[in-house]
Amino acid sequence: MTGERTPPAAAPVRERLPRGDLVGARVATEFAAPLAASLDDELTGYLRLEPGDALLGVGGSEAVLTLDSGVPVLAYDAGGDADGPAALAALAGTTPVRVERYRLSADALDPLHDPAADGSEPFRVAPGAPARELAGDDDLAERTREAAPAERRAAGGDHDALAAFLADEERVEAVRREARAEARARADEWGLGDHLAE
Amino acid sequence: MVEAFAVASGKGGTGKTTTTLALGMALARRYDVTVVDADTGMANLLFHAGLADAPVTLQDLLAPDARGPDGAAIDVHDACYDRHGMRVVPCGTSLAGFERSDPARLREVVAELAADTDVLLLDSPATLASKSAVLPIVLADRVVVVTQPTIPALSDALKVQEYAASYGTGIAGVLFNKVRGDLGSVGAQAERYFEGPTLGSVPDSDAARAARDAGEPLLSHAPDSAAAEAYRAAAAGIEPEPKAVGDVADRFRSAVVPERP
Repeated sequence: MTGERTPPAAAPVRERLPRGDLVGARVATEFAAPLAASLDDELTGYLRLEPGDALLGVGGSEAVLTLDSGVPVLAYDAGGDADGPAALAALAGTTPVRVERYRLSADALDPLHDPAADGSEPFRVAPGAPARELAGDDDLAERTREAAPAERRAAGGDHDALAAFLADEERVEAVRREARAEARARADEWGLGDHLAE
Repeated sequence: MVEAFAVASGKGGTGKTTTTLALGMALARRYDVTVVDADTGMANLLFHAGLADAPVTLQDLLAPDARGPDGAAIDVHDACYDRHGMRVVPCGTSLAGFERSDPARLREVVAELAADTDVLLLDSPATLASKSAVLPIVLADRVVVVTQPTIPALSDALKVQEYAASYGTGIAGVLFNKVRGDLGSVGAQAERYFEGPTLGSVPDSDAARAARDAGEPLLSHAPDSAAAEAYRAAAAGIEPEPKAVGDVADRFRSAVVPERP
């Protein structure tokens, strides 16, 4: 409901997002489709993203990505563990994902999206970062970047999400471990078992 | 002396072919270099190297009767082209040629090439999803991992490393390509997880796209570009390790027969 009273500016950003009007929900097998649809529709509001592992009840947490005319502005996970680029890093690779699309008026989001808004800085993501880091879609990232206001295009921070990912040792080691197991399983499947190292 | 490197990324769009030719040209200043388009299913090196009209390619060598388009018998040297200071072995893109080709012959072809060069660079398929796609990684001594500074690309790069390690193949280094702005801490952070150094950071560049459109390797088309300079610096970080010629040739000859991709 867009008419709800907005909490005071001093409250953390994740408590200040007004509830929007639900305009759609679906389970997406990859992030590109909902991000592209939001950009094409110039959606102002936010996406609520529930990762596949959360859907299965084995962990993960919901994330929120706010949008200004389809261009991502702020990101955070609902559990309060990760803000901005770190929230994108936590969300990467978690498909399938349930995506709810909410519409809000620009006025309702201004107090959060304003670059001078109290406490919003850690939550900010580069305009193309979700398309690049979640969807791995360079063209969509570039299209999103071009749709962003000039001052945001030049803001930098392009590698912050990757830096957050690499700082999460446990996560990276899990990727490596899974790849090793997959390599060995496939080697057997392909008859390459004899070529495996000890 | 010869060392075989697979240039691999595990995903498409990282600029692997541009990288293969750029590293090849840079290394050719110090070594005798042979570049092979080992991505026989989605060959594109010929377009990057100005060899779109090459009369004989790897595809013809892989045909069971090894005959050129005019029906004459051919050998490996007929598909080798001296270009840009290197020996380039392109792969054709015709569907008929692909269907006629016998991938089992690749190892023989590469074994012959290995006998006569210092550095062998194998431009590898942009996937790890089939037996023939991982073959260059299985066969190579080391892998040059090409990635972009994004979470999906780096995850795939880690996957390439783990596949390589599973087959006893080393990592020559990691090259970040199409980098926008400053890589910041990412290069150093990545080194914690890769078994080789971060070789460099190549800026996202219109020069690379223009070079591709012109059918020229970047280092020929725009040798003074920032991207070309970054590639030369990255190549300086690759120190080929001497291997007995026989070792590499034997490895290719003893490799299993790949199925069609």
